[in-house]
Amino acid sequence: MTAIETTLADRAQRPVTDHASKERRAAWALTAPALILMVVILLAPVLIAGLLSLTNYSLGNSGFDWVGARNYEKLFTRSTYEKMFVATLTYVVTVVPISVGLGLGAALLINSLGRFREIYKTIYFLPVMATLLAMAIAWEFMLHPSIGMINQTLAMGCGTFLEALWPFMAESCADRFPVWLGDKRYAIWVICFIGIWQGFGFNMVLYLAGLTGVHRELYHAAEMDGAKSAWERFRLVTWPALGPTTVFVVTISCIRAFQVFDTIEAFWPQGGGPNKSTYVMMFAIFEKGVQQNLIGIGSAITMLFLVFVMFLTLIQRWLVERKVHYK
Amino acid sequence: MTRDWWKHLILILGVIVVIAPFYMMVSYSFKSPGEIDRGEGGFFGRQELMVDERCVKLRDPNRDDIAAAADRFPGQSDSQIRDALLAEATAECSMRPVVFNYTKAFTEAPLLRYLMNGVIVTASIFLIQVVVALPAAYALAKLKFWGREAVFGLVLFCLLIPVHAIALPLYIMLAKLGLTNTYAALVVPWTISVFGIFLMRQFFMTVPDDLIDAARMDGMGEFAIVWRVMLPTAIPALLAFAIFSIVAHWNDYFWPRIVVTGNRDLFTPPLGLREFKGDGDGSFFGPMMATATVIVTPLIVAFLIAQKRFIEGITLSGMK
Repeated sequence: MTAIETTLADRAQRPVTDHASKERRAAWALTAPALILMVVILLAPVLIAGLLSLTNYSLGNSGFDWVGARNYEKLFTRSTYEKMFVATLTYVVTVVPISVGLGLGAALLINSLGRFREIYKTIYFLPVMATLLAMAIAWEFMLHPSIGMINQTLAMGCGTFLEALWPFMAESCADRFPVWLGDKRYAIWVICFIGIWQGFGFNMVLYLAGLTGVHRELYHAAEMDGAKSAWERFRLVTWPALGPTTVFVVTISCIRAFQVFDTIEAFWPQGGGPNKSTYVMMFAIFEKGVQQNLIGIGSAITMLFLVFVMFLTLIQRWLVERKVHYK
Repeated sequence: MTRDWWKHLILILGVIVVIAPFYMMVSYSFKSPGEIDRGEGGFFGRQELMVDERCVKLRDPNRDDIAAAADRFPGQSDSQIRDALLAEATAECSMRPVVFNYTKAFTEAPLLRYLMNGVIVTASIFLIQVVVALPAAYALAKLKFWGREAVFGLVLFCLLIPVHAIALPLYIMLAKLGLTNTYAALVVPWTISVFGIFLMRQFFMTVPDDLIDAARMDGMGEFAIVWRVMLPTAIPALLAFAIFSIVAHWNDYFWPRIVVTGNRDLFTPPLGLREFKGDGDGSFFGPMMATATVIVTPLIVAFLIAQKRFIEGITLSGMK
């Protein structure tokens, strides 16, 4: 009796399990290419970099020695790498807040306009689309000490009230205008400026998208509660509503800022700028690891870089999961 | 409108700063070297005929040329014929600066080849990304299998790894395989787009199960379902992803710079422009800016035509 029952149950179940196992096989077949590529192209390199950062390996050498944490030690003791951290952090800490702020400002201004919104939006988005390397070369011409548009424009201010107001103008008019890219006082700020120029349109677009999600009624409610000025309305309604957008915009700006490379390589193919003042991490990885074949140290910088970026993204995910609401 | 004048003032100041390098790039690509040096000629330059010195030098007539041309100038001395030939060469070598700049851009370096490479590389990257990501996204969204959560967890983890950051180990792997300086090196690291998988999975979650069940009833296998049922529903999302991917890889400079060294046949547009700059002795600003304009234009034009889609595509990462 029980035997018959089990066979009956079997018969009823077999098509189901058949189907399930077919589905399973199909699923693995469909994910296999992606899975293999993920492991080979994304995970393996992280492991390889981690291992190589503990060696003195060079491409072309047959063997290598384990050197322990010596590569990391170098990173934290040599002045070259100190300059690298200073340049990278200066860039990130300057570009991220300003490009996020400008993006938000532009979005708020554009959103409050009745007309010409699309035109402004389009123009501000152009640098995001354009090949950065080409635009870097265009900026290089603009910054040319003698025939560049920037110094020519500044020179027009000579002999006007600007000289009295702005010590920089008075000095430059008396002597000469800066060599921008050749001057270690200005080089990193020029790079920052181009970074902001290129990136704030992207942030603006994200904020504009965020603003469409803010309900009109909230403003009315805030007004009822006595929020009369535009600033009060922004502080009480807009800013909290844009919280999730801000978290995202800040993270992505940080990650992009850490990866700055094109402008620096275009301006100073060797050495990372005057007195290494623009020697950022990506450039260091390129110069040490690829050009000078010092794979160990290049891998150590890579690992550090990954730690920074992953840390940032994890903070972002954690904030998003808390459903960011600023009080 | 009148209340808003200060807003427009601020925004227009911003517009000037944003547009300035574009303005200068296009303007220089129209001007003669002299006009660029002296900073005159407005936007289009005066477009006076200019003589390409190098072209004239190349056509400097030698004895044979003069002898060959003797028929055309009967009864003249050799030096007269020589002068006449030189005058001819000068006439043929003179052109408008805009023509000069753009012809130089295409003849001094194989710019057309670079553009072709750019198209080949970006197109193959996108196609392979889709071929790899779409089935995986479908399986993760619609099929039940043991290990699905683990695979999806892996996708989420891989989202943390920017490919540029692991460029060095990737470069070493490719070098060990002897693949540097090949198209494969330009394409391979980008074949897996975890972001693409994630995005398409989120999209497929919204597709009703009935659609897939109906297809199974019709006897379709899972592979057929991916390409004949899911793909057509995913066109809008794919289009946005295409823009995201193409813009990123057309403009990419870091990765090609690492894996392509010296072999001009493999140069992508940014690499070509970079080399042009390295060669230039300064008098070549015009042609160089013409090259830059040619490289930047395709995406800008496409963007101006389909702005909404582009903004959607580029800010895709905002959907996370």
